[in-house]
Amino acid sequence: MIVCVAVVGHQNNPLYLQSFTEADDALKLHHIVHCSLDVIDERVNNPKKTGPTLNETFLGLLYPTENYKVYGYLTNTKVKFIMVTTDLDVRDVDVRNFFRRFHSAYVDAVSNPFHVPGKKITSNTFAQSVRAIVKSFGSSTAV
Amino acid sequence: MADRGRTPEGRVIEPWRWSVADPRGGSATMNLRHGSASYGRQQWGILNMMKQCRMEMDPSKTFLGRTLLEEITPMIMVLRTSLVEEACQKNGLSFIQMLQPFCLFNRIDVPVRTASDQPYRLQMFKLRLAYASEICQPNVEVAEEHLKQVVSRANEEPLTELSSDAPELEIILKMAESRSFPSWFQIFNKELIHTISFSEHETFDHPIACLLVVSSKDVQPLNKFVDLFNTNQLPSLLNDGAMDPKVLKHYLLVHDNQDGPSEKANDMLIEMRNTFGSSDCKLLCINSAESGIKERESNPWLPYIADADPNVGRFLDTNDLNEIKDLMQDLASKHIIPYMEQKVRVLNQQVSATRKGFRNQIKNLWWRKGKEDTPDAPNGPMYTFSSIESQIRVLGDYAFMLRDYELALSNYRLLSTDYKLDKAWKRYAGVQEMTALCYFMLDQSRKEAEYSMENAFSTYLRIGSSGQRNATRCGLWWVEMLKAWGQFKEAAGVYFRISSEERPLHAAVMLEQSSYCYLYASPPMLRKYGFHLVLAGSRYEITEQRMHAIRTYRSALSVYKGSSWNYINDHVHFNIGKWFSLVGLFEVAMQHMLEILACSHQPLSTQELFLRNFLHVVQNLGKNHVVFRLQLPVIGTRSISVIFEDHRTYASSTSVHVKESLWRSLEDEMVPSISTTRTNWLDSQTRSSLKKFKDFSICVAGEAIKVNIEMRNPLQTPISISGVSLVCELSPRSEEAGSDEHKLESSSNNIMQLNDRENKGADISGSSFVLSEMNFTLQGGETRVVELIVTPKVEGILKIIGARWTLAGCIIGYCNFDTDIPKKKPVKRRKSKPSSRQNLKFLVIKALPKLDGCIHQLPMKPYAGDLRRLVLELRNPSESPIKNLKMKVSHPAILIPGSLEDMDVDFPSCLEKQSSHEHIGVRTTDVKRSGGRLVLFSESTVIQGGSTFSWPLWMHTGVPGRISLFISIYYEVENSSSEMNYRILRMVYELEVLPSLEASFHISPCQSRLQEFLVRMDITNRTTSQSFSLRQLSAVGQHWKISLLPPDLSVCTSKLLLAGQALSCFFKLTDSRKFSSSEGIETSTDDLLESDVNLGSQENREPLLDLSTSPLIDFHYRERLQVKTDKDHNRTVDFILISELLEKRSSDPRDASDAKRLYSHHACQCSIANTSPIWWQVDGPRILHHNFFSSFCEVKLYLTIRNCSDMVATIKINNTDAWPDNFGQALNDSSSSGVNRSVGWHDISLENDLKTVSDSQVTRPDRTPPPFPDTVSPFIWCASSSTKLTLGPSSSIKIPLQITAFSAGTYDLSSYNLSWSLQLPEDQVSAENSVWQSSGTCKGHPFYLTVLQSH
Repeated sequence: MIVCVAVVGHQNNPLYLQSFTEADDALKLHHIVHCSLDVIDERVNNPKKTGPTLNETFLGLLYPTENYKVYGYLTNTKVKFIMVTTDLDVRDVDVRNFFRRFHSAYVDAVSNPFHVPGKKITSNTFAQSVRAIVKSFGSSTAV
Repeated sequence: MADRGRTPEGRVIEPWRWSVADPRGGSATMNLRHGSASYGRQQWGILNMMKQCRMEMDPSKTFLGRTLLEEITPMIMVLRTSLVEEACQKNGLSFIQMLQPFCLFNRIDVPVRTASDQPYRLQMFKLRLAYASEICQPNVEVAEEHLKQVVSRANEEPLTELSSDAPELEIILKMAESRSFPSWFQIFNKELIHTISFSEHETFDHPIACLLVVSSKDVQPLNKFVDLFNTNQLPSLLNDGAMDPKVLKHYLLVHDNQDGPSEKANDMLIEMRNTFGSSDCKLLCINSAESGIKERESNPWLPYIADADPNVGRFLDTNDLNEIKDLMQDLASKHIIPYMEQKVRVLNQQVSATRKGFRNQIKNLWWRKGKEDTPDAPNGPMYTFSSIESQIRVLGDYAFMLRDYELALSNYRLLSTDYKLDKAWKRYAGVQEMTALCYFMLDQSRKEAEYSMENAFSTYLRIGSSGQRNATRCGLWWVEMLKAWGQFKEAAGVYFRISSEERPLHAAVMLEQSSYCYLYASPPMLRKYGFHLVLAGSRYEITEQRMHAIRTYRSALSVYKGSSWNYINDHVHFNIGKWFSLVGLFEVAMQHMLEILACSHQPLSTQELFLRNFLHVVQNLGKNHVVFRLQLPVIGTRSISVIFEDHRTYASSTSVHVKESLWRSLEDEMVPSISTTRTNWLDSQTRSSLKKFKDFSICVAGEAIKVNIEMRNPLQTPISISGVSLVCELSPRSEEAGSDEHKLESSSNNIMQLNDRENKGADISGSSFVLSEMNFTLQGGETRVVELIVTPKVEGILKIIGARWTLAGCIIGYCNFDTDIPKKKPVKRRKSKPSSRQNLKFLVIKALPKLDGCIHQLPMKPYAGDLRRLVLELRNPSESPIKNLKMKVSHPAILIPGSLEDMDVDFPSCLEKQSSHEHIGVRTTDVKRSGGRLVLFSESTVIQGGSTFSWPLWMHTGVPGRISLFISIYYEVENSSSEMNYRILRMVYELEVLPSLEASFHISPCQSRLQEFLVRMDITNRTTSQSFSLRQLSAVGQHWKISLLPPDLSVCTSKLLLAGQALSCFFKLTDSRKFSSSEGIETSTDDLLESDVNLGSQENREPLLDLSTSPLIDFHYRERLQVKTDKDHNRTVDFILISELLEKRSSDPRDASDAKRLYSHHACQCSIANTSPIWWQVDGPRILHHNFFSSFCEVKLYLTIRNCSDMVATIKINNTDAWPDNFGQALNDSSSSGVNRSVGWHDISLENDLKTVSDSQVTRPDRTPPPFPDTVSPFIWCASSSTKLTLGPSSSIKIPLQITAFSAGTYDLSSYNLSWSLQLPEDQVSAENSVWQSSGTCKGHPFYLTVLQSH
C-alpha cells in the first residue's frame, strides 16, 4: 500500500504531500520525505549515468526504512516526486508505471493557468487523480 | 556465510521507535543486494575506500586504535587489606586510584617475542587494575544510573547559551570541517562499553595477574596474604572455571611512613621473600611527606578522578611517586609481559600441535560432527579454561594485547569456525569482533573487517537480550572503524542501528552521534542531520534529559529554519517552546511559540494546542510583553488604505470611495486651476518650503486620518484582539532638516529603537495626537478591515509607523507598515506626484475651518416625480469664517438650489396660482452658464465660525433608477495659510428612484379643425402600494389651451389612482397661435380654454398650481434639456402632470398636509403632428335644404390647405367622380392606412391594460363611422376637377370647391386626392434628414353633406 506521495519543488520546498493512512503520522511522513531529499541530492550530484540511463527520470529505491520503502523520481524541471510504500516486494516496473501516471497528473495540474509555479498544488482534481493512481497501484500489485 | 551475515528479520520494534533506518552504513555486500541502482553507489564507495587506503593511515593513531591500546590491555586483579586502603585514603585516594596514573607507560620499550622468532619492541603499554570485587558483570541498574549521570553531567552549555538564537547553518558547516565530536560522547561510549566488562566469553578482561597488597600495620602479614587469595571473595570467573585460577601472583607490602620508620616493613619484606619467592615481593612506602604538599605543578591524579579535590595525594612526595612508578614499571616489564610471552608461546605450541595441520583439521571436523545434536543454547556449550577453544581464545587475546595482530588474527579465525560449528553464537560473535579489530589494526582488508564487524553485530543481536549490549559495543567499535576510514555516512547508519536496540537514553546519544556523522559526511547530509537530531531530542525528552532535548532541537532548527516544511518546523518550534517553558525560560519559550502561531495548515486541535500553550507561556511571563511582528492576526500590509482630508474634505465615508477622477471632472470649473500654483524652475525658490514636503501628504491639525488595515485570523479558532491602534510619530516641523529624516529612516528597522519610540509616542500622545482604540474578536478564518484613526493636534510632521494590538489581553504585538511596498491609495492621486508610496507621511498644517454638510430630508428611495424642498445645512465648527462658497451638483435635473426666500414659504401652497408672479433672480444666469451645474453663492455669503448655514434646495426625481448624486461645495478660508487657501466639501447621496406614475400622451390632430388636437393620456400607477391622486394637467406654454373632454366631467370620481391601476382620459388641446396666412384667414381661438386643467373631483377642487414659478419651471426646463429631440418645437407640446401621494399615515388630520406629497411628471416634446406637412380642411355647410324638383343643388365648399413645413410645397388636388368599389372599405382604409398610424384613432385592443377602468366613465367619441344611408345618390364635382398650386412655407391657402348633387341624401365628399410634394432646398440632396416626407398622396377627409328636400 502506498502510504504517502509527495511533490517537492526544485528548491526542495514541499508542493504537495498527501498521506493515505488513517493514522496521525503527517509529521513522520514529512520527515521521511524531507530526509529522502538528501538521498536524491546525493544521487543527482553524483551521476553515474551512461547511455541508456542518461535521461532516466526514475531514481529507484531511495532508501528502505524499517517499515517503508521510499522511491524517487526527478522531472526535467527538477521537481521531485517521492513515494513511500509499505509493500516490501515492489516491482520496479510497477513503480515506474506509477510515477509515469503521477507525472502526467502533475503536468495537468501545473498546466492550470491559475496555478502559480512554485506554490503549493491545491487543485482538487489533482488530488482526486492522485488518489485514483494510488488506488490502482495497490490493486495492480495485489494481482 | 552470507546467510549468517544478514540482518535477522522480525525484530521487535517498540512503538516509539518510529524511525528511519539507513543501512547504507551496512557492509558493501549488503549494498549489493539492492539492485543496480545502488550498485553504482557501492562502486563509488569502494573507490572512496581505495582513495583513503592510499592515504597513509596508522591505525594506532586513530581514535579507535588508541582506544584499543588503552582498553584491551592486561587486567590485574587487586586484593588488599582494609589497612592498605586506610593508608591511601589519607590522600583522598583509593589504592587503585593511587596507582592508576602510573599504569600507562608511554615508553616502556620492552622487547617482545611471541610465536615468531622475530622479537619486536613494545613502546606504549598499559595495565588495568581492578579490585577483585569489581571483577564481575556490573549490576544493570547501577550501570544505568551511572550512564544517566554521565549524560546529565554532559550538559556543558548553560541555559543562557541555549536560549540564544540557533546557530547559522554556515557556522555549523564550518564546524563540521573539523570533524570533531563533542568530548562527552567518548566518555559516554567508554562508560557504555564498560558496562559489559568481564564477560566470560572473552578473555581480555580476565585478570592476568593478581596483586596482593598487605599493609605493614597488619598483624601477621604473611597469613593475610594467604587469606586474601583464599577467601570466597574471588571473582566468579576464577571460581566457576571460566578462567585459569592459576594466575600470576605478586605480593606487595605497603608501608605508611607516617606510622613510623620502615625498618619493620623491611623485615617483613625479607620474610615475604622467603615465603613467596624473592622476585614476586615488593615493598611500597607511601605518605612520606609529613605536612602535606601545598602546591604541585602537575597533579598526576587529576585527569583520572572526576571532580577531584586538588589536594589529592598531598602526602605523597616525589620519592613516593617514583617508588610507585618503579613498582608499576617493574610489574609490567618484568612480570606481566614476560608471563604473557611465555603463555603465548606455550599455547601456540599446544594449538599447533592439536589444531594446525591437515590431519588435525580433519580430526577436528570429524570430532565436532559428533556433537551436532547438541541443543542450540544461546551461549553455546560451556567451555572451561582447559578446553582447547578457550585456550585458543586466550592465545588470541594475549597476542592481541601484545600487539601481535597476525598471530591473534590467525587464532581468531581458527576459533570462529569452531564456535560456529558448535553454535556458540556469543563466543562466535566475540571472536568475529576481535577478528575485525585485528584487521583494522593491521589495516588490511577493510572489506573483511567490515564484514566481520557486521557479522558480529548481527550475531550478538540474534542471541537476544544477553548479547544486546555486546552488540552495542561492537557497533561502537564498528562506528569508530568507519569514522577512522572517513566513512561517516555509513557510520551514521551503524549508530542508528545501535540506537534502535538500545534504551531510550542511550539511543538518544547514539542518534545524536549519528546526526553528527551525517553532518560530517561529504557532502553533508543536512536533512538527515536535522532529522536525527529531532529523533535524538525526542528520546532525550522521554528520558527527561530536557536540556539535551532542547539542545538537539535547537541545532536541528538551524537546518529547518527558513524552509517551507511547515509541519516539521512547527513540531520543532513547539517542542522547544514547551520545554523552555517547563524549564522556566518563558521569554525564550515565547520566541519559539511565536513562530508557530499562524499555523493555518494544522488541524483545529493542533491550532488550539499551540495557542493554548502560547498563552500559557505568555501568562507566565507576567507582564504585558511587546512582540514585533506578532503573527496573530495577520496584518495585510499591502492592503492599507489611508483616508485623510487635505483641501478635499468629505461629508461621509461613502464620498471617500468615489473615484477621484469623478470628483475632478465635477469640480473642474469650480476650483482654481492647478497650473497657476505649479512651479517652474525659476520661481521654485519661493515655494521651496513646500517643495521639501513634496512627498508628504497634507493634512490639517485636528482632523482625523483614517487608516484601513486588513486583519486576518489564519486559525480556525476565534481570537480576541483588543486595543488596536496606530503607532505614530509626530515631530515638530522645526526639525525638518535632512538629518532628522535620515535618523528616522535608519531607525525604522531597528526593533529596539522602535520600542522606545513607541513609548515616546505614547508619552506625547496626550498632547500632540489622539489615537483610536478598537476591541473585537476575530472568528476563525475571518478577515476584517479595521479603521484606525489618528488625529494630530499640533502642526508638524506626522508619520504613521505601524499598528499595535493586544492579543488575548496579554500580549502586545506591533508591526510596521512597510513603506517600500507601493500601496493602493484611493484618495491621493495627484498628477505632479508619480508615486504615492510615502503616503504614511503627513505634513500637518495648522487648523483650518472645515465645513460639515448634509442635506436634510433627502429621501433615499423617492418615487419618480417627487418634488420637494430640501435644506442644505453647512456647519462651520471652527473659529474663523469661510467665504466664496460655490456649489456644483452632478445631476442638475434632480437638484436645483432655491433662493433664500424659499426657506420660509409654505410648500406646496406657494406654487398655487397667485395674481403676482415673482421671479427670484439668484440663479438663472449662473445656472445657464455652466450647464446648470455651478452655483455661486453671493459674495456676501460668509459662514461665521460656529454658525450654521442653511440653503433650500429643490429636488425633483425624474426617471426611476439608481442615481449617485454628487455635490461638491467649494469654499475659501478667510485667513488662508500658504499651504491651503481653499477647501472642498464633497457629498455623495445614493438615491434609488422608484417608479411611480407613468404617463403617456397620444396626440392626434383633429380632422375637422385646424389647431385642435385630441390628447389621450394613459396613466399607470407602477407602485406596489401607493395611491396617487391626480391634481392637475398642464400644457406648458401660454399659447396652449387644454380642456377636459367632455368638459364638465371630472376624470374620475374618486380621483385616486390605486396601486397598479391604469387610467386613460381625453383632453382637447388647442393651439392659439396665429399662423401667417397668405390669405389672412385665422383660426378662431376659444377664450374659455386654459393651459391648465384641474383633474380633481368637482366638489373638492384644489387650486391650480402655477407652473411658471420656480422650481417647477426650472425642473421643466431641465427635463426638456434631457429629452434630446431635434423636433421642431412648434410641433411639440410639453405636459406636466401634477399628482399627490396620499401616504398611509394621513389618517391623522393634522398630518394630512404634511403627508401630501407633490409629484410632477413631465412629458416633453410630445409630437402634435403627423409626418405630413400638409394639412387641409373642407369647410362648408353640413345640412342644406334644396328643392330638387326645381334644380339640382350646387354646393360651394372651401378647402383650406396649410403648409406646416418650412419648405415650398406643390399641391395638386384631383376630384374623382369615380365611385370607389367598396366604399366602406375605402373609408376604413383611409383612416387605418393613414400616413401616420400611430396618430389618430384606430381599433386597438384594450382588454389588457384598461381592464380596471373599463367600467369607469370614460367618455369617448363614437369611433364607429356613421352608417351610410342606403340611398346614396351620386354627386359630381364641378368647377375645376384638378387644381395645382404652390404653397409657401408656413402659409395657408383657401381653395373654393363646388359639387353638384342631384338628389337629396347624405354625401361623403371625400372622393378626392391630394398629392403634395416638397421642394427641397438646393443644399439638401435627399429628404432623409428632414422630419417630413418629401411627397405623398392622401385621400380626402370624410366630409358629410346632407342635402334635404325642401318643401
